[in-house]
Formats: sequence, structure tokens, C-alpha cells
Amino acid sequence: MRHVPLRLLLPALLLVGAFCAAVWVTFDYPGPDRHAADDWVDAARLTGAVNVVSAIYLNVRLLDTLLEVLVFSVAVLGVRFYLRERGHVETVDSIPESHVLRLSSDLLLPVILLLGIQLTAYGHLAPGGGFSGGVAAGTGLLLAAIALGADAVARRFHEGALAHLEWAVLLCALFLAAFPVAFGRPPLSDLLPPGTPGGLASGGSILLYNVLIGVKVFIGTWIMLHHFILHRGEV
Amino acid sequence: MPINGVTISILLFGIALLGLVLRRDLVIKLLALGLVNASTILCLVSLRARPDGAAPILGAPGESVMVDPLPHAMVLSAIVINFAILALSLVFVMLLVERYHTGDSQQIERETSKEEEP
Amino acid sequence: MILALFPLLRFGFGVLSIAWGRGRRALLVMSHLVDGALIGLLAATFRGGRELTFVAGGWERGLGIALVGDRIGLTFAALAWGLGVAVSLYTWNRNLRSYFYMLLHLLVGACYALVFTKDLFNAYVIFELLTLTSFLLVAYERRPGQIWASLRYLFLASLGMGIFLLGVAVTYYHVGSLDLDLIAAHVAAGPEAGWIALASALLVSGVAVKAGVFSFALWLPSAHSLAMPAVSALLSGLVIKMGVVELFRLSDAFPLDLPLVVLGVLTCSLGILYAVASSNVKRLLAFHTISQIGYLLIGFGSGTLAARLGALDYAVAHGLFKALLFLAVGDAARAVGTTDIRDLTARRADIPIASKIALLIGVLGIVGMPPFAGFAAKAVLEAGLHSTVVHALVGLTSVGTVISFSKLIPLLTLDGPRSLDRLRLAAYAWLGGSVLFFLPLSRTMIPQSIWSCCWSGWAFFEALGAILLGLLLYRVLRHVRLRLPQRIFRIEEGVLVILGGFLLVFLLLRLRG
Repeated sequence: MRHVPLRLLLPALLLVGAFCAAVWVTFDYPGPDRHAADDWVDAARLTGAVNVVSAIYLNVRLLDTLLEVLVFSVAVLGVRFYLRERGHVETVDSIPESHVLRLSSDLLLPVILLLGIQLTAYGHLAPGGGFSGGVAAGTGLLLAAIALGADAVARRFHEGALAHLEWAVLLCALFLAAFPVAFGRPPLSDLLPPGTPGGLASGGSILLYNVLIGVKVFIGTWIMLHHFILHRGEV
Repeated sequence: MPINGVTISILLFGIALLGLVLRRDLVIKLLALGLVNASTILCLVSLRARPDGAAPILGAPGESVMVDPLPHAMVLSAIVINFAILALSLVFVMLLVERYHTGDSQQIERETSKEEEP
Repeated sequence: MILALFPLLRFGFGVLSIAWGRGRRALLVMSHLVDGALIGLLAATFRGGRELTFVAGGWERGLGIALVGDRIGLTFAALAWGLGVAVSLYTWNRNLRSYFYMLLHLLVGACYALVFTKDLFNAYVIFELLTLTSFLLVAYERRPGQIWASLRYLFLASLGMGIFLLGVAVTYYHVGSLDLDLIAAHVAAGPEAGWIALASALLVSGVAVKAGVFSFALWLPSAHSLAMPAVSALLSGLVIKMGVVELFRLSDAFPLDLPLVVLGVLTCSLGILYAVASSNVKRLLAFHTISQIGYLLIGFGSGTLAARLGALDYAVAHGLFKALLFLAVGDAARAVGTTDIRDLTARRADIPIASKIALLIGVLGIVGMPPFAGFAAKAVLEAGLHSTVVHALVGLTSVGTVISFSKLIPLLTLDGPRSLDRLRLAAYAWLGGSVLFFLPLSRTMIPQSIWSCCWSGWAFFEALGAILLGLLLYRVLRHVRLRLPQRIFRIEEGVLVILGGFLLVFLLLRLRG
């Protein structure tokens, strides 16, 4: 560490130590044992999903998830606004052509995209969901951008249309969610039938939300990464 | 002193706070902030974890008790929010470093307070 | 039903304004009309005095997110709406981008969501949305000073929210639910449990970073003073109040009397000291925001219903006149080109006359001149305070407020160019009118029983006495220069002071119980 003044070091160690000690001592951790999972299991059975966690955040506590998708959108918007307005765009020299990189990206890209789709679509049956699926697919595109060059990928992806698709998906999700959240209809099973638990078409609208969120996060991640590549800046 | 997820998360929180205060480089402060949020996420996940717990998926094989799924749902939201905050602070750190040609927070502080009235 | 529709509609309008950028102003007008109608509908539902309780999605109480619509929620939703209208009028002709309007819609929508929620994790996510949108709005003009100030804001605010989430983890572990009513019942059943002090200290520290309490909110002076005037008005008037509302909800669930009063006393006095010492007019206003939050904390911590309702009333009043002051000062600073008080006084002939009138109304409100906004709310608040020491301190802070605003008196001459456009005048009239006619507005929030006990001659006497004393002291102390430590406004010291504040709250709670 570079020279840290004593008047900062001593109080820092003292206060942080006191904070940790306070939390440690009074947390009362191995405390009362509670089998709280039973309520949630009943709730999940009502929705028809098999993954209890996705039944919670996409059905019972849908409002939280909507807000969090908005947080993500604001982040993407902020990144785009601040980086694009800097004015100049550096010429992006691609990484020198390497056969290994090119070949492995050709092999891996379809697999990664398929993995993203599978995580999204099976979100109500196994751990996964829209967020992880979208991010996985987005970083797959990053791999393609490293191997092929960012402008090659960007040219195929018509960024104007992508931006509109992103907002359309968000509006769709808000609109669909408004009815059950606002009007208090019991679990979303009346938008789509619950189906047999364990099948792909089960879980009611959870599948729909997963897909919408997956698309949104995929586009958002790609836009963020693309802007970071384009506007790298100088020191 | 029992070593479990919660105690480790408190330790990590303390380390991250020290990093946030004592290190002068902006990027390291950023990493420390990410670590603060990550240690809180660790605390949430290990709250109701049990060594014999089963994943919160209906019909999973095994006789064991299912762990509490609500902290997992909270953690999903917390991770996305953490990601958003890190991305935006990275953009701002980049803008500042480009403007002042240094990554040192004390120098940036000095430069901006010269432009700003007391 | 309506409770959850409020924020969702606003978010919808926000997304639409960025998807269809050309129609952003039409969408703005439509959204204000729709929200006004919803507020009216909600107010009509309250006529019978019933509260609305609603769990999002129709699930049962312990599982789903509980929303509650009571008078407090309605009043702050109306405040959010009113300030949104004022800021829209003020910035109408500036041709701002759709990005700004989307952030504005999301900010107001998040405020609607926060005032109605009774769920801890929902509050966490909404606070993060508020942090991000306000942080982006502060740095909208991309000046380097703004970028550094808002980066500091983001660091301290997300640290605060990390502490808050840790508090949520502790609470959830011991109670088993995130619903504030269930938590309150659990805490009331066993208040000596050890974890309650820790959980409430963590939760309060986290919220206090957003609420503008002194030792937690050291990012506030730089962020509010460097932002655009419309954004400062929105932040000081609205976003800070959201932290205050959440503190109010927390103080319903946890026993927080002593720490709130102590923090309030600290905040009042230190805020006013820094305000008196400051020579930059926007920084002066920002320090005043901090010191007025001290009043609110004292009100919440005093426990009596009169003090609590008076504090909430004062929060609304403060939102209105602080927004008015920031808008007026913003215009003045833009006309003259500087924010230093001495330069402003020297070139006061250049300040538009409408700004001066707005400044006058705002100053009358904040110093508590009867019968305007500040006086009415402060009277109710002080009527509920028990201890005379605290009462004396509140009085002293009022005197200090007058002293620091006396610096602006030379600006209030009656000449000046008439150069403002109509919509800015409309914004001033909207806010100024509500400050002037605040008395009938606050009748809706405070029930009759408490109202009648505050209208004694003593209240008038106190208010006028404070004003006169302040003016006198200003004449006497005009040339005294105060030098206060400015080092605490950096990131590193900011983090340490937050930890110190947490330890203070924690020790107070442990010693009490």
C-alpha cells in the first residue's frame, strides 16, 4: 500500500473492527431453527412450477423483479448515454487473427447461445431463469466479438432495431405484470394454464416472464459490452 | 468461534470496508464496493443453509429438508443490482480517469476542489 | 389495486418516453394528469377514514409484498406528484433529452412505490432504483465536478444499502418474514432479544444514508449543490423525504426513540453550523436540508402522535419550500453566473424579479414566519415535544436558520429584469402558492384533536421571537468567520463516519434495553 496517513489508518482499523465485532457478537446466528420452506412449497405447488425459487421471484414477489429489471435497464441506459456522448470512437483493432481463437469461437458460440436459451426456458424447472440465461448468451456474443471483431458482430445486429426490441419487451413485461400485481388476482395460473409439473409448458406465466427477461438481459448485456469495447478511452 | 458462511461474510465485509477506506486507487475502491455487496449476498445465502439441506426444487431426490428459498430469491435481485452499480461506477471512473489522467482518488479530489467553491 | 397501479403506470410512461422520444412532452403531461386523477381517487377512498391494505398479487400476508395506503402514503405521493409537475414546468422549454424524462418518470414512480410499501426487501430494491436514477440525474450535464460528486454519492449510498441488506438478513433470520407488520408484532412480543439492537441499528444506518442524517449523508452538500437546479430541487425536496418516510415506517416496527432523538440533535446543530459558515448559496441550501431533517428525526423519536404527525407535515412543507428555493436560486445563479453569495449580492440588479419574489416566499417559509408553511408544521411538532432541552435546541436551530438566511436578505430588492418565461413563472406560482396556503392543506393530514392544541399565542410568540433574535444576532455576528473541517466530505472519511454513526446508534440501543 502506498503511504496511508496514520490519522486515517488508526480510526479505520478501530471503526471497522468495532463494526465487525458488533455484528459478530450480537448476530445470534445458530439460533432458532425454522422450517419456513413449507409455506413456499405450498405456494409453488399452486403455481405449477417445480423450481420454488422462480415461483417466488416471478410470481409471489413479482413487483421486486419488475423493479430490478428497471434497475438493469437504467444501468444499460446510463452506460450508453455517458459513453456515446464522449464524441469520438476509437478504431477497434481486432485481436490478431489466430486460428485457435477463430475455430474455438465457431465451435463454442452455438453451444453458448443454446445454453443461454436452455437456462431461460427451463427456468421454472431447474436453477436458471431469465437473468442467467440472458447474461450467458450475451457473453457468448462477447466471445464472437473477440474472435471476429466487434464491428462484424455489431453489423449483424442492427443496433437501432435492438434498442426498440428492448423497450418493447420491457413494456410487454410491465403490461403483463400489471394485471396480477395490481388487481390481486391469485397466482398467475389464469394467464397460462399450469400444466403438468415437470413439463416444459408448466408454471403458468413464469415461462413467459423468463423469456421476456432473458431477451431483455441478452440485448442489454450486449449493448453494455459493445459500448465498453467501442469507447475504450485513453489514459 | 464457529466458521460458517455468516462469519466469513462478516469478515469479508470488514476487509472490503478497509479496502474502500485505505486504498487510494479508484478501481480498487470499486472492487471493494463489489466485495461489500458480495459479502452481504453470501450472508443471505448461508442464513438458512444446512449441511443436509436439499435444493429448493420440488421432487428433488433425497429425504432431506428443503432449504428456505426466500433468501435465494433476494440474492437474485441483489446480484443484478450489484452488477448494475458496478457497471455504472466503472463508466464514471473511466470518465474521471480520462479527464484527470490519474486513477488516484486524492489527486482527483484536489483537482475538483480547485474548480469548486468551498 | 390503485396502490400498485401508481408506480407501474409511471414506469410505463417512463419506458414509453424513451421508446417514443418525440412524444416525450405529451407523455409527460398525460402522466401528470393520470397520476392526479389516481391521487384524487385515492383521497376519495379515504374519506371514510379507512386504510387500504393490499398484498400484491393476492397472496397471503406473510408471503407476498404488502402495500398499505394510509394518509402518510397519500400525502407523500401528492408531494411527489406536485414536485414532478413543478420540475416539468421548470424544464419544459429547455428541450432536454428523453433520457432525462425517463429518469424523471422512474424517480417519481419509485417514490410512489416506496411510500406505500410495507415490505423490507421491496424497500431495498426501490431505494437502489432511487439511488441509480438520482445519481444519473446529478451527473446529467457531465461536468467533471458533477461526475465526481455523483460517484461519491454512489459509493456511499450503495455502502449504506449494503448495510441495510445486512440488517434485512438479520431481521429475516430471526423473524421469518419480511413484512413490517409481522416484524413489529414479533419485536413487541420480545423486545429484549439481543438481535433487535443489531438489526435496527443496521437498518437505520442504511436508511439514514439516503435520508440526509448528518453523519451518514456527507455526500449531500456536494451532490445537491453541483447538480442542475431542477435536479437539486427534486433531490432535496423529494428523494430525501423518501428516506424519512422509510425511517418513519421503521420506527413503527422497532423501538427507536433514543437514537432518533440523539441523531436528530446532532444533525440539527451540525447542519446549521455548516450552513452559517458557508458562502456558496447552493451549498447553504444543501446544509439547510440536512439540518431540517434533524427536526424530523427529533419529531419521530419523541414518541407522541403530535410530534410524529407534525414531523411528517414539516417534511411535506420542507419539500415544497426547499424545491422553490433551489429553483429560484438556480435562476439567480444562472443570471449572474456564479453561486458565491458576495458576488450575487454585488450584482443583484441582474437577478430576475420573479426569482426574487420566489426567493422571498421560500425564505419566509423556511424561517417559520406565521402563517406560512414552516410555522404551521413546526407548531404541531413542538407541541409534541416533552423535554425542554430538546425544545430549546429546536428553537436555537430556528434562530440559526434565520441567521444563515439573513445573508440572502440584501438580494431581495424590488428591481430586476423581467426575463423569465411563462412556464417558469407557473412553476414558481405552483410551489409558492402551496407554501403560502399550506395551512388548509395540512388540515387534511392532521386530525382535529391535535390541531386545536397547537394554536396558542405561545407558538406565534416563539416563531416571531426566533426571527427577530436571528436578525439581531446576524447584525452582531456578521463579520465573524467560521472555519469548519471540510475534510469529512471525502469518500474515506465519509465511510468512517457512517461506521461511527452505526456504532453510536448500536450502543444507544444496547444501553437502553
